[in-house]
Amino acid sequence: MKSKILAIAGGLLAATALASATAKAADVKIGLIGGVSGPIAAMAPAMIDAAQLAVQQVNEQGGILGGDKLVGVVGDSACNPQGGTDAATKAVNIEGVVGIVGPHCSGAVLAAAGSVTIPAGITVITPSGTSPEITGLKDNDTVFRTVPSDDYQGRALARTLKGMGYDKVAVSYINNDYGTGLANAFKSEFETQGGEIAGYAAHEDGKASYRSDLAELAKGGADTLVIFDYGDGTGLTILRQALENGFFEKFVGGDGMKSEAPIKELGAENLSTFVASSPVGEKSKSLDMFNEAFKASGGDPSAIFVTTSYDAAFLMALAIEKAGGDKAGVSAALREVSNGEGEPIMPGEWKKAKELIAAGTAIDYKGAAGDENFDANGDVPGTYALFKVAGDGFETITEMK
Amino acid sequence: MELIGLANYALFMGIFIGIYALLALGLNIQWGFAGLFNAGIAGFFAVGAYTSAILTSPYAEGRLGGFELPFYVGWIGAMIAAALIAWPIGKICLRFRSDYLAIASIGVAEIIRLVIKSEAELTNSARGITNIPRPYGDLPYVQSQMAYLAIVAIVLLVAYLMVERQFNAPWGRMMRAIRDNELAARAMGKNVEYRRLEAFIFGSALMGLGGALFAHFNRSITPEAIDPMVATFLVWIMLILGGSGNNRGAILGAAVVWTIWSVSEIATDQLPQEYAVKAKYIRLFLIGLMLQLVLRFRPEGLLPEPLRGDLRSDDVSSEK
Repeated sequence: MKSKILAIAGGLLAATALASATAKAADVKIGLIGGVSGPIAAMAPAMIDAAQLAVQQVNEQGGILGGDKLVGVVGDSACNPQGGTDAATKAVNIEGVVGIVGPHCSGAVLAAAGSVTIPAGITVITPSGTSPEITGLKDNDTVFRTVPSDDYQGRALARTLKGMGYDKVAVSYINNDYGTGLANAFKSEFETQGGEIAGYAAHEDGKASYRSDLAELAKGGADTLVIFDYGDGTGLTILRQALENGFFEKFVGGDGMKSEAPIKELGAENLSTFVASSPVGEKSKSLDMFNEAFKASGGDPSAIFVTTSYDAAFLMALAIEKAGGDKAGVSAALREVSNGEGEPIMPGEWKKAKELIAAGTAIDYKGAAGDENFDANGDVPGTYALFKVAGDGFETITEMK
Repeated sequence: MELIGLANYALFMGIFIGIYALLALGLNIQWGFAGLFNAGIAGFFAVGAYTSAILTSPYAEGRLGGFELPFYVGWIGAMIAAALIAWPIGKICLRFRSDYLAIASIGVAEIIRLVIKSEAELTNSARGITNIPRPYGDLPYVQSQMAYLAIVAIVLLVAYLMVERQFNAPWGRMMRAIRDNELAARAMGKNVEYRRLEAFIFGSALMGLGGALFAHFNRSITPEAIDPMVATFLVWIMLILGGSGNNRGAILGAAVVWTIWSVSEIATDQLPQEYAVKAKYIRLFLIGLMLQLVLRFRPEGLLPEPLRGDLRSDDVSSEK
């Protein structure tokens, strides 16, 4: 082992000397790191497809920089820190990516940023890392996200529900960073608005029965259950058992619950009192353009986090173009291409953007999931809507402010 | 593929292998020496990681912390905390024989994980602890990784030498005697319960140290990192594959398994796009297959436990 380490160290010294002599690769690579295996395996493929759509559009419309091909290198973060750092290290060092879209899970984002991308100076845009901890990272301005922090969604949902006349609710949330973040923010805002939280409890993932948890929550006398969980996982079990046993009458879900699975499994007719919040592009031309393009490429535009994934990848491409392919300049360029000032660029308008950048005109990307104007911490405010079940899908009831 | 990138990747692998090797060494003390089936590695890993994180990280609102002690204090604290947690657990659980101990230790690890996930005042619950300092973390990327690898290597080397010394000392022979024939050892006047507790605590302290090294390397620790898959079973596979009862085997096992885990993804990425994403699952399959093959054809592991009594072990293996 010792000699092996010595050999590695020796090899490294030699490599340092050679580094300056290496040739420039023809392809421009970005890392697409996601939870391909692990707990969000059902969501990850659509998110990666959406990011690849942006890559494909760039290549169809003249490529990046001097006509080079943009390549999205997929890595598996397995939704845990071990996998996240491993995938990020490979992307940065073996593939030589200019920037990374991902990782998908907050724990993986924190670890990959802390041990790989911040030291290496690589810009990261996560489309789904929603933990409020990401806001406070000491990241030299290299960690961004196109999805709002859970804090934001929780608060917006609380205000909207209160406005719609929900006064007394029980909250059941999955015990991970996603559920905790949402539930904490929801609770504090709902109480500030004068609402009553009649039951508030975390639940563990993957149990067969949640009837005792539900019975406990129902004791508070609320007729509404707010579920912060995933609709194709434990959230579905909870919803089903709450319906079957009549613990609650009305149900509210966070964005994780806005999934096709409950409708398929439970039937739309049983879900007439179910509403769910989800990030949407403000009903914008941008969103329509993305939806059309994603449908044409065989994707489902209503799948979760596809808009944010697309925006992250497209923004990354714009920033790389703006920075002239210089890794160190990507984060500054990212702020320039989406700060609310300049010629608006819609999803898919790569050719136009490229010409404007070449001419030195300021551009402003209007994303499918919102305007994507980053604040000082690299966060974006969200645009959320509340959905109800209609037919085999979801229909917007109201915008959430 | 740039050479410097490869070297960087090798550094990263070295660090991860070093951390996992510490866990495997800790398990080797428990399973390889004393025959204790501890399936709760993740719990001690977590205790170490969080203790060190709390001791060394800057103040953050809403959780314990803000001591900002130097990293080595955190690491020593991690070992002490893991040992302290192991003591009552061992006191109670070690009365169980092998399989029952496994069940009890899985339960204990889950309890620790859920406490960490739920106690916001202590561990910031599911959000985890961030901004943990990394020694020499202010250096540029490559140098910082090199420095950390050097630290991990030194820690591992010291741990290895100490464990190896114990293994060859009378203490090691006594532990193996207890493992192989408890009644005989008891008849010889050995205090079996006490000795087992010793092995359990020493092993757990090393696991705690591994957890601390992991947290400082990533500058963050979240409950996602203490998933039993990556923090318990992967370590078991490493030890079984490398050779339980052999310290070098434990380290070799960590190196082999992590390399397969990590490098196989590079291989599958060479496939066409539509298969490359699906092929990532092959990593899980490969690890399982590897374990099956080793158990079938080489149950003693890649480096078997050295035979005792004299230095004839080389002759014995060549006679096969």
